[in-house]
Amino acid sequence: MEELPEVLTDYSEDGVDLTLIRWFLSLTPAERLEFLQRQVNAILRIRELNGIE
Amino acid sequence: MVSSDIGAALRTLREGGVEFVLVGGVAAALNGAPFQTYDIDIVPARDEENLAKLLRVLHSIDAIYRIQPARRFKPEASHLRSTGHHNLITSYGQLDVLGTIGRGLSYEDLLPHTVEMDIGNGVRVRVLDLATIIAVKEELGAEKDLAVLPLLRRTLEEKQRGTR
Repeated sequence: MEELPEVLTDYSEDGVDLTLIRWFLSLTPAERLEFLQRQVNAILRIRELNGIE
Repeated sequence: MVSSDIGAALRTLREGGVEFVLVGGVAAALNGAPFQTYDIDIVPARDEENLAKLLRVLHSIDAIYRIQPARRFKPEASHLRSTGHHNLITSYGQLDVLGTIGRGLSYEDLLPHTVEMDIGNGVRVRVLDLATIIAVKEELGAEKDLAVLPLLRRTLEEKQRGTR
């Protein structure tokens, strides 16, 4: 089995998760919009389940 | 329930022939910043022909001002001519129509700093570039703008390194 690298995270000095940015940049604009929409819909559904308008 | 369909809202604006620049959080996300937002911010061209097209689309998607939604104030042409901000709720979710952004930047000022992006199904939208989004937020310097600058700056750096 392949060994995991020693460092598994990559944050900038000001604490930004660079792995998240790199992953998001690897998507096309249409894929980014689709992901954003899915997140928004999920949050709206949870808010609705909790009776929050 | 409040619903949201960012893609449908943008597609409807484009199909209605509206000329606009997409700015704000959705623009940041389309530029590759992993940014969470609910509302669409656009700066439309404010010539009479474009405002008439915009108004037609806004009425077709039941746009009303978010302030006092129970009173259902609809945007009118005279409102949209201003440089002010129009915070609307539509059948596709929140839509902010901004006459200008930053220190008075209009559609014409922003146009050279945009990139055209395909957002799916062949719909192409003019999106404010990341460097200008950052510059506007730096200039405004409000707490909410400063809070997102690290994420936007690091995204721009990664982008310039050539991830995409």
